[in-house]
Amino acid sequence: MTLRVRALAFLALIAVLATACAGSPTPGGGTGASAAPAAAKVAYGGTVTFAMNSDITDMDPMQSGLFVDRHLMYAMYDSLVRVTPKGDIIPWLAEKWTVSPDGKSYTFNLKTGVKYHDGSAFDAESVKWNLDRYRLTKDSRRTGELAPVDTVTVVDPATVKVDLKTPFAPFLSQLIDRSGMMVSRKAVEAGGADFTRKAFKAGTGPFILTEAVKDDHYTFEKNPDWWGKAANGDKLPYLDKVIIKPITDGSVRLTNVLTGQVQATNAITGKDVPSVKANPDFVYQEIAGLGYNSMYPNRSKGFLFEEGRYVKAVSIALDRDEILAKGPAQGVGTVGYGPIAPSHSAFDPNFKPFAKPDIAGAKKLVADVGKGPLKFEMLVSSGDAGTLQLAQLIQSQLAKADITMDIKTLLFNEIVKLQNDHKHTGLTLINWSGRTDPDGNVYDFVYTGRPNNNSAYSNKEVDKLLDDSRTATDNAKRKDLLLKAQQIFVVDDPALIWYSYQAAQLLTAKNVQGFAVFPDQLPRFETVSLKK
Amino acid sequence: MTQYILRRLLLMIPVAFLVTVGIFVLVRLAPGDPVLTYAGENNDPVTIAYIRAQLGLDQPLPIQYAAWLSKALQGDLGRSLQTKQRVVEAIGERLPATLELGAAAILISVVVALVVGTLSALKRNSVLDLVTTSVTLAGVSFPNFFLGLILILVFAFVVPGHLFPPGGYVAFVADPGDNLRRLVLPAITLATASLAVNMRQVRSSLIDVFGLDYMRTARAKGLHEGAVIARHALKNALIPVVTIIGIQIGAIIEGAFITETIFFWPGVGRLAVQAIPSQDYPIVQGVVLISALSFMFSTLLVDVLYAVLDPRISFGAAEA
Repeated sequence: MTLRVRALAFLALIAVLATACAGSPTPGGGTGASAAPAAAKVAYGGTVTFAMNSDITDMDPMQSGLFVDRHLMYAMYDSLVRVTPKGDIIPWLAEKWTVSPDGKSYTFNLKTGVKYHDGSAFDAESVKWNLDRYRLTKDSRRTGELAPVDTVTVVDPATVKVDLKTPFAPFLSQLIDRSGMMVSRKAVEAGGADFTRKAFKAGTGPFILTEAVKDDHYTFEKNPDWWGKAANGDKLPYLDKVIIKPITDGSVRLTNVLTGQVQATNAITGKDVPSVKANPDFVYQEIAGLGYNSMYPNRSKGFLFEEGRYVKAVSIALDRDEILAKGPAQGVGTVGYGPIAPSHSAFDPNFKPFAKPDIAGAKKLVADVGKGPLKFEMLVSSGDAGTLQLAQLIQSQLAKADITMDIKTLLFNEIVKLQNDHKHTGLTLINWSGRTDPDGNVYDFVYTGRPNNNSAYSNKEVDKLLDDSRTATDNAKRKDLLLKAQQIFVVDDPALIWYSYQAAQLLTAKNVQGFAVFPDQLPRFETVSLKK
Repeated sequence: MTQYILRRLLLMIPVAFLVTVGIFVLVRLAPGDPVLTYAGENNDPVTIAYIRAQLGLDQPLPIQYAAWLSKALQGDLGRSLQTKQRVVEAIGERLPATLELGAAAILISVVVALVVGTLSALKRNSVLDLVTTSVTLAGVSFPNFFLGLILILVFAFVVPGHLFPPGGYVAFVADPGDNLRRLVLPAITLATASLAVNMRQVRSSLIDVFGLDYMRTARAKGLHEGAVIARHALKNALIPVVTIIGIQIGAIIEGAFITETIFFWPGVGRLAVQAIPSQDYPIVQGVVLISALSFMFSTLLVDVLYAVLDPRISFGAAEA
């Protein structure tokens, strides 16, 4: 009991601190705008064309299941909260919020006078409708993220209260992205089944979607009534128009940038990075991302990698520096060992358990198992030359430790199915785009029985530490718990084999300014302008 | 003739039916589970089961097929699993771009093949003939994904002035000039392989015809060489060429798969390229059906054209 009382008192303190921190939105709420370099006089007008590396499948934040979809969403929708490039959660449509002492209740004070592009009002009713839609619709892709929500209550037109079933530390971070994006009920209901690809006038964001031609382009026009202001007081956005184009081929995408057809892109292949860095007509930005690159063993009963020592043998035999430098990344990104990425507040720069390949150690682990040499197959998606090259590099590294890795090429969908059914016999290569809160990179992947736990990993101690990290609202405590869990699921009893962290890139023409690169790799256009 | 056309049209029904059965089974034979792909980052088994039931993919195959066919007969080819767009609408939106690209490619291919093929036949074993034969061989051997990339790079970095943009599409009604500028490189890329075949066909057909008696007669009558070639030789030599071009028209949709992807040309080919790996069954079925129908209609058109080009060919009553 005493412990419980102490814990409650501690949570109350945290709640007070959280309230204090959250209660001071910047003018216009647009703290993200401060990412723009402080220019004396920024010109209004103009069009910027942005290239992404594949086409979107869904504009409805509720249905969207692909990373690429989010490229459009940040232009057209506002979320309740947003994140700075440094990872701090900032007020957005929610001007401030308070957290109850037990960490189970969040009260949001909303921005007033905001309208959706279709003219309908944004208010507490609208927030409730959106959150309930995301968490209660049967085929919603957001149910997992909002699972801890118990009820959403309208307190008054500008206040909404969200009660959680249990304290959930990453809750605010869930509202940064699709689960917190506010969509006009009128637009959703009018759009019907077509809303997923014709979400016209559906958001409150800085740009209004006016044209959507699948596989070709998406046109956004300036929302003249947007509420956001830049750090220098300028009304945002600056640009009149933004066009987003999907260009799948890396060389063609770059050629389009270099010839001025496109002014910005966030997908530059590793081999092209040195040349764009050296090109004085362009600005290349690269920061640590949130995503990671990893391999999934199948740790289910009866499969080879049920034996944790085998997983560890593979992990310690890898030369991660070489994979990063000579693999398809060509040095873009950083060497990594676990899912908590450098841009996460919980990142530990000293966590380098496999800094150098340990060939002798790997051989010893295999010998300790006592079942002869280790031999398995790696599943590689067909038609992907870069992944095949990566697999071959890993194959040659493991051969040094007498580990035989056969490469088997399958259709991507087949690999996904095998993994999901826990039927793959060896390893698969899987990347994760990452989430702002480390919980989004960890929990679903290593916690027993979670849907994305494709390696069928189960470790009670890890489960306990992760559960505790979700209810701990103190960041230092959370970090400690996450790092303790990471030590187990990376080193002591490995769940996955992580080998590198992704970078967030942005290549812009020299006349494009105010375009900040965010760890989540997604473009924000409200602060972008063209030099006159 | 009318009876013949009607009979051919009726025969298309069982063929189209067999095509739908074939493609329905084939796309489902591919390993993998489209629902998992669509669920994306949310792998929740309850959501996945719900989506599967909603899409009807939990039903036995014959029931799925019957449901699809009954709707297809009413002109509803279903909705894309991935984007939820109506298949008819998705194809309809992209068809103009594909037809424009295909028509431009065939136009380039036919005009160049006729001119160069005729010259080559007239000047057999000359330098011109050797050069065109070599270019033809190169055209057939050059994969169009490679040719497309080379053309993009050449016009982006070698030829000054960015005459032809490296891909993209602007509707003709929006900006005719820009539309045509963007059309040039993909049309050349798509035309090259068929151009080579057509050129060889024109050349060899003409050479065959040149040796025939009526050609000597025409010349003996004192006809101008130009008239001999245009009126007598070409008209007869064109029959096999028309056959090949007919097939090429039918193949516009699948011929453009790669070219449309390289030049991000928003046509039916690109739609299919995206739908196949993600097992978007309704889209793949729709594209294959439309493609099969276009083949059937183009072969019918070729047969009809035979009669126009050669009055000796007739259909129907005379055969009985």
